[in-house]
Formats: sequence, structure tokens, C-alpha cells
Amino acid sequence: MKVKVATKILEANDRIALDNRRLFDQAGVFVINLMSGPGAGKTSLLERTLAQATGLKIGVIEGDIAGTDDAERVERLGAPVVQINTGGACHLDANMIFEVLDDMPLNSLDILFIENVGNLVCPAEFRVGEDMKVMLLSIAEGHDKPLKYPLMFQESSALVLNKIDLAPYTDVDMEKIRRDALSLNPGLKIFEVSCRTGEGIEGWTGWLKEVSGKGFPQP
Amino acid sequence: MHEVSIALSLIDIITAQCRKEGYGRIEAVRVRIGRASGIMPDALAFAFDAIKGDSMASGAVMEIEEVSLTGRCRDCGVEFTSDEEYVLACPACGGASFVMTGGRELDIIDMEVS
Repeated sequence: MKVKVATKILEANDRIALDNRRLFDQAGVFVINLMSGPGAGKTSLLERTLAQATGLKIGVIEGDIAGTDDAERVERLGAPVVQINTGGACHLDANMIFEVLDDMPLNSLDILFIENVGNLVCPAEFRVGEDMKVMLLSIAEGHDKPLKYPLMFQESSALVLNKIDLAPYTDVDMEKIRRDALSLNPGLKIFEVSCRTGEGIEGWTGWLKEVSGKGFPQP
Repeated sequence: MHEVSIALSLIDIITAQCRKEGYGRIEAVRVRIGRASGIMPDALAFAFDAIKGDSMASGAVMEIEEVSLTGRCRDCGVEFTSDEEYVLACPACGGASFVMTGGRELDIIDMEVS
């Protein structure tokens, strides 16, 4: 007996992502899915953002294969944080997020960051209910990355180029990163920052306030 | 890279539907995988066989239809098909302004149940 199925395999994930999105919208929280390769500086960017974006109430969901180092770093800055250990999975999916939402005070947040597993490939394939995806690339990873890992550059609304303080010590071609990233995604907003020195962070946090519609208290 | 999680979702979907239709065994399942989906057919078949275990799909054979990447260029209007996993520029004019019309599929088409 032949049975027609005609279903997208990721449909279950997308359905849960929509449920998450509904909860986020009800709570009025703007959600960013933060992605990069390992070591590009996702947690460092969150530390800088928490330290500088005064006025924004920020929560963080940390995704890692193992360990709680990142959550501890964020917690030290006083932000609500939940750590997810994927136990080997290369990305966060919508259900992993759904299961921890009870532990996150969504109603009192302006922005929720979901720091994905460090991986330039898979996280871009799975919706988790976010308003937008933002990716980081540290310049020491090399200027060939946009064309080698195109999907993440295409799916992201913003690209944060981190570790620009290292530029004098590398042969990285920043113009090539910009050119290739913009050819993949002409609407991509690009920030150049150093989470180590704090350079460029203000431009990033200013944009965060703008896109989230938060941080502009009514007079 | 995440073929196992895709295979798990696939088994969840087909066993639920098999039960709903009132059958107990899945003999075969046909899926459509786009070349640009990031999923490798061989790895998916391997993952499926490895985890179908004692589910209703334990004896199921998976048949995979691969779909080529297709696109339409907004600059020169050409419609193209590629055997690559990824296209970065229109093969005709070299422009970056094109839309992918196929190749990202991860669909279950139908299954044989008894």
C-alpha cells in the first residue's frame, strides 16, 4: 500500500520554531541567533554588549557541545543565562530552545541572544524562532571564509568582524571579506570590532537598539 | 553533517503517519534531497539504517531522489541548472543577483506500508 507523505523533513523543527516565535512575540522580546565558528568571539561579544549596552535588558541562551564556561562568563555580568549542552549535536534546534524557555524570564527582557554551537555550517540550517541571525567572523580565520561557507553569510542579517586589533599581524584582506560577503548577501550589515579593546562596539550596540526597537525610552 | 538528526526526524514523521493510516510496517520510503541542502545522501542512508532499529521502519528501504541546484538570474534572466553543491554567481553573466529555484529540498515523497 502506497501512502503519500509529502512532508518537509524539517517541518517539525519549523513548527516548534514558530511556537517559540509566538512566545517571544507575546513577551515582546527581540531574539538574535548568534552564530560563528569556534573561537570567533561570540561570548566575548556578548560580554562587551552586556557591559556597554546600558539600558538594554539582555538574556542569553548558551549552546555548547559540553561545558558551562560560557554561561559562567555571562552570569558574572548579571544577565539571566541558561546553558544547553547538545552532547555532540553540531547545532541548536528549535526543540532544544523550547525546552529551556521556562527558565528564561522572557517578559522582563528586551533582547534574547541564542549563542549557537561554534560551527560555520549547520547552525544556519535550523530555525529556532529568532527574529534575525547574526554571525561573527574573526579576521584571523582568513578572508576565504565567505566563499567557503556561503550559507551562513547569506542567512545572516549582520556580520560582526571581530579581532580587528590583530589586523597588523596577519595578511588578511579585509576588503575581500567585505566584497565576497556582500556579493553573497547585498543587504548584509557589517561591523568591524575588537572585543579585546572595545573598538567598534558602540556602533554594534547602537544598531542593536535600532533593529530591536528597544533602548529608546519614551520622553 | 547532521544526517542523524535528519534521519531521526524522518523516522518520527513516517512512523506517525503509518500509525495514523492504520498500518504497522513501513517497507520503503522515498525522499527527495537537494544538492544544496547540506545533506549527503550516502550519509543519510547510513544514518537511517543505523537508527531505524526496532521502529516500524526497521525493515524499510530508503530510496533517495537527488535534485540538482537550479536558479534564475535577476540580471540576465537566464535559468540554469548546476551539478555543484553551491553556486556563487550566475553561470551565464557572473552576476551575484540570482534566486535559487531548487536544490534545497529535504522532503519525504511517499512510503510503502503494510
